[in-house]
Amino acid sequence: MSLQAFLDSAGVSRTAYYSLIRKNSILPRSVQAMAGMLGVASSSILEEEPPAARRAQALVREARSVLTLNPRATFDNVWHTLVLLDDPPIERLRRSLLRGRTHDLH
Amino acid sequence: MIVGLAAAALQGAPAVTQDIDLWFEDLGDRRMHEALARVGGIYVPPTATTPPMFAGKNVALFDIVLTMHGLRDFGRELPHARKVRIGGTTVRVLSLERIIASKKAANREKDRLILPVLEDAWATLKVRRKK
Repeated sequence: MSLQAFLDSAGVSRTAYYSLIRKNSILPRSVQAMAGMLGVASSSILEEEPPAARRAQALVREARSVLTLNPRATFDNVWHTLVLLDDPPIERLRRSLLRGRTHDLH
Repeated sequence: MIVGLAAAALQGAPAVTQDIDLWFEDLGDRRMHEALARVGGIYVPPTATTPPMFAGKNVALFDIVLTMHGLRDFGRELPHARKVRIGGTTVRVLSLERIIASKKAANREKDRLILPVLEDAWATLKVRRKK
């Protein structure tokens, strides 16, 4: 994946990216000051967003970009496709068959 | 080659199916019979009222397909099939674009119902592949 593709997927502009990598620290000075007073690492007083939530946000951004290019597509279909693409092919097939066969019972 | 909604699901389309359709060029191919024998399945030839089938617990999920609506013959479609890795095996899978073409040509009620899902999945795949 190219840098541009990565930034597009993350919804980050090139300007913002280069601004970030030029800084010594991206944490607010107030956070660094409080961590210094407590004698702990700055990261220890930050609550990190769960990886699953971050992944979901990235997928929502990607779904929106698909819908922008394909206005007649529906969010549900695009979203479920993107979620399934995170799984290996065998798992996608297993889910499809499981749901198909469960529906058949009713 | 895997075709139908199982093929669509392997490529990421959110479609449900009850079986895995396998498109064969030649039902007389000894490799098919050898593979069936390895998993305890048998080939049931067609009769006047029944299509060709597989029988046996381990092959109950699989259906035989000999022609696909709206597509070229097997030999001309095969080079365009996608290769999908499943476990330690690579299988040929009819591309989502060609599945959509076959569903449009078949035009049964169940095909018309699933087409918007397949077309949205195809649009999604195209955008992702461009990245």
